[in-house]
Amino acid sequence: MNKRFVNIVLRHLLLAFLAFIWLIPIVWLLVTSFSAYTGINTSTFFPQEWSLQNYKNLLFSADSVAQFPNWFKNTFIVACCSCVISSAFVLMVAYATSCMRFKMRKPLMNMAVIMNLFPGFLSMIAVYFILRTLNLTNNHWGLVLVYSASSGLGYLIAKGFLDTVPVSLREAAYLDGASEAKIFWSVVLPMSQPIIVYTVISSFLAPWMDFIFAKMILNAGVSSQWTVAIGLFNMLDRSLINTYFTQFCAGGVLVSIPISVLFVIMQKFYVEGVTGGSVKG
Amino acid sequence: MDKVKGQTGSFFGAIGGFFKEFGTAVANGDIFVKLSLIWMGAGYCRRKQFIKSILITLFEIAVIAFTFGFAMDYVPKFATLGTVQQESVFNVVTMKNEFNDYDHSFMILLFSLISFVVWAIFAVVYLNNIINNYKLQKMEQEGKHIKTFKEDLISFLNEKFHITLLALPVSGVVAFTLVPLLVLILVAFTNYDQQHMPPSALFTWVGFRNFRDLFGNGGLTVTFGYAFVRVLAWTLVWAVFATFTTYIGGILLSILINDKKTKFPKMWRTLFIITIAVPQFVSLLLVKNFFGNSGIVNTFCANIGLTDWLRSMGLIGTSYIPFLSAPGWAHAMIILINVWVGVPYQMLIATGVLMNIPTEQLESARIDGATPRQIFWKITMPYMLFITGPALVTDFVKNINNFNVIYLLTANVFVTTNQAMANSQAKEVDLLVTWLYTLTQDYYNYKMASTIGIVVFIICAVFTLISFNRFIKGDREEAYR
Repeated sequence: MNKRFVNIVLRHLLLAFLAFIWLIPIVWLLVTSFSAYTGINTSTFFPQEWSLQNYKNLLFSADSVAQFPNWFKNTFIVACCSCVISSAFVLMVAYATSCMRFKMRKPLMNMAVIMNLFPGFLSMIAVYFILRTLNLTNNHWGLVLVYSASSGLGYLIAKGFLDTVPVSLREAAYLDGASEAKIFWSVVLPMSQPIIVYTVISSFLAPWMDFIFAKMILNAGVSSQWTVAIGLFNMLDRSLINTYFTQFCAGGVLVSIPISVLFVIMQKFYVEGVTGGSVKG
Repeated sequence: MDKVKGQTGSFFGAIGGFFKEFGTAVANGDIFVKLSLIWMGAGYCRRKQFIKSILITLFEIAVIAFTFGFAMDYVPKFATLGTVQQESVFNVVTMKNEFNDYDHSFMILLFSLISFVVWAIFAVVYLNNIINNYKLQKMEQEGKHIKTFKEDLISFLNEKFHITLLALPVSGVVAFTLVPLLVLILVAFTNYDQQHMPPSALFTWVGFRNFRDLFGNGGLTVTFGYAFVRVLAWTLVWAVFATFTTYIGGILLSILINDKKTKFPKMWRTLFIITIAVPQFVSLLLVKNFFGNSGIVNTFCANIGLTDWLRSMGLIGTSYIPFLSAPGWAHAMIILINVWVGVPYQMLIATGVLMNIPTEQLESARIDGATPRQIFWKITMPYMLFITGPALVTDFVKNINNFNVIYLLTANVFVTTNQAMANSQAKEVDLLVTWLYTLTQDYYNYKMASTIGIVVFIICAVFTLISFNRFIKGDREEAYR
């Protein structure tokens, strides 16, 4: 009995230790965002003076470097547009490949596998030139296109889910004389709520988390056009870091809050997605 | 392997069948089917499908207009990628310096490729059109009902619904993934770099020279071969370590949390998940400064005397610990920080899988007298590997292409001291993809970047094919159902 007790205590101590390590950077982010000193605090973990100035500056007095409200708005617009387009694309491709049978199905799916093996931003260089010819660089529409145009390639998770929707339901609808479009809209989609939530949230989050594509498309533009990611990255430029580091932290905290909420909602579907729908939770 | 062969076989079989169908349609078709070879709308017009006839005629006219109005400006120059260099010429009429009618190599490459894609699409539509016309002719001869335009439209919501669904997503992929990839593959066979930047200069085909530069020691001053071997080695080491440390760590952590003896499993899980809810560009940039040369960890280490101790051991030659700024240290730190980033993700997945192990199997094993250790190795792990195996393969490929972790942690901090690496714009901590990024963004060396991109693709493709064929066999699919 005594040995068992020691085991339990050790187990919880280990977990607490691990959690401590995992949370150090997050706590540092949080406390630094309340620091009165604007540069990197290198001597102590906790700030010597506390203040709300960083949040105040970030939200209400935008300067040429820090335009957080603008960035937030830009990212939100881009995220909403690309979320609508990519969710629609993903679900459409998933239904076509999962529920319908046609000649080009297999070849198309094999092509998708091959294209997914190329590093994503290899094609970005050429996409950049195409967008530049269309005059869409340094433009939010260009960014929306980049995020959503080829989103159809990420259909596999949704397909895995739709594969589990019983065929008998669709067959019953066929017998009732429903068209394929009607089955997609009023039989399969209402049943796929979990995967819709997953697809919508994950495509909404992509522009918040992404950094490379935004930097490539928007880098040369005016800073008020940037997204949160490039804006915050720029604050850590060598010449700016000592004035803006704590504002960067405040910005990080502000971005993380909505993302965390969405992430916690999505978490449940994430597991199902990655394991290809083979886990029924 | 047989399955792959079978698939490609059926694919070519389908193409062969398509052409055969076209042949019979042309041979056996009536005069209107044959007329459709020139005027695509002829057959439809004869079968009274006028709207369809008009649409297909408009399509034909559009492609012809595209060909002569646009494609012909570029495609003929595709073989040379342009010959007329940009020059500033004084125009007597406007009294200004103006550019001559120069060739833009990249535009020639890009627009020629777009033209090829348009023509390929046209060819498929054209051949299909003849086959359809022949079918209509036969239907008419047999006295069957020929669909009206409205019925045709309705069929796109029914048996042809997949075309409606796939049209936009596939064109998106073609425009934003396929064409760009083809362009980049072609660029790998040109000398497109900073010395050959359109519009002021031309670039041209060089065959396999870039590949020779990458694999051998090609040029005299720039030794890409030297850097390539080192970057490739680190990429593979990184991918192996990053994948397996996070995978094993995630499984161990989830076992620890989900054990019956652990109290408040939900709370522990949430604590770890918080760390992945913070976007990587925030958390990684923060960690970079956390471990900076004059960062807080270094202050701490100096205060407790660790820095001095390491210096006395001869492990560091600086007054700080170069966590992210010296080779060796940086490599280890990157892998460790990646454990911090990746373990919560894997923990999440492993938790989902662990909760769903078929309980009958565990039960019967226990009745047969298996120890917990045996149960773990003989049931839990094989089950886990079976479910997450494909995800493990994709993780490995993702790690080969893991741009974020390396770039956000080492950009502007890590400066290479190895002159031979610096000559090829590479750093010891670079992965192939970050090297590719630096080459394009800072040095405009598109030819080498594209070449590296192709190499990355080949590595990923070979690895995926081998692992899917050897380790994750199709016949295991039924094992746990």
